[in-house]
Amino acid sequence: MNLARRVYALRWVALPPLTGAGVLAMLVGAVVAAPRELVEGDVQRLMYIHVPSAQAMYLAFGVVFVASVMVLWKRDMRWDAAARGAATVGVLFTGFALVTGMLWGKPTWGVYWQWDARLTSTLVLFLVYTAYLLARAVSDPSDEQAARYSAVYAIVGFLDVPLIVMSVRWWRTLHPQPIVARLDPQLPDSMLAVLGISTLAIFLLAAWLILLRTDTERLGQRLLGLRADVDRREEA
Amino acid sequence: MDGELGYLFAGFAVFWAGLFVYLLLLQARIRHLTREVDRLEERLAEADGSGPPPAGSPR
Repeated sequence: MNLARRVYALRWVALPPLTGAGVLAMLVGAVVAAPRELVEGDVQRLMYIHVPSAQAMYLAFGVVFVASVMVLWKRDMRWDAAARGAATVGVLFTGFALVTGMLWGKPTWGVYWQWDARLTSTLVLFLVYTAYLLARAVSDPSDEQAARYSAVYAIVGFLDVPLIVMSVRWWRTLHPQPIVARLDPQLPDSMLAVLGISTLAIFLLAAWLILLRTDTERLGQRLLGLRADVDRREEA
Repeated sequence: MDGELGYLFAGFAVFWAGLFVYLLLLQARIRHLTREVDRLEERLAEADGSGPPPAGSPR
């Protein structure tokens, strides 16, 4: 057994306590330790959920993209289970990013929603992968052709991710420019530390959910295989 | 100030409630699938003629 397999085998031992500790640290950091922002006030603390949720969204859809490429390349349905598992988690975190963004936007911008480039392209991503999940839900999980068509759709849908990332640079938007992902982060060190802890905690949570969901999808595939075996044996 | 805290509370509540509901639904799905897999494995064992393992025997 190589090192990667050994680490993977430890996922249910290591991930839940690490995630729990990370999420606890995130909560304490966001609500207690982080300083109150002078202009926006306490509502700015939503940043510690909103920004990591958006990062987890990119992570999950990145996994969907890689797994979909592997479906087309290797023709292995285990990658399809990984793509579907990561897509549900991606849609979940996109929903969190959208809703927390709206709740942060109302007291700071005066509106819940604005049809600007960042918000609209994120909503499009949410709808693209919701459609992907709906299409997979009505198709047979062991149907290889459906998996390949879905993989192509998921890969094309991923093109929206770089568009979202660059939208605040390419177009004038209500959404602020990046304040962390730059050479000179525009946040005080205390806020930056809490944001770092929150991002790590949400990444661990997203990774745990993706693995859990992928195993569930594989269990579903195994169930279909067993049903086919039982039908064959009982007919014979 | 109060309204501001209301938005903060709503944001955290949506996140944790959403996560909790998602985990509950996922747990229900895993339980259902595991039960179905166990049931079909027993039927397969019966179809093979070996029958289900006796209660208390190591699996």
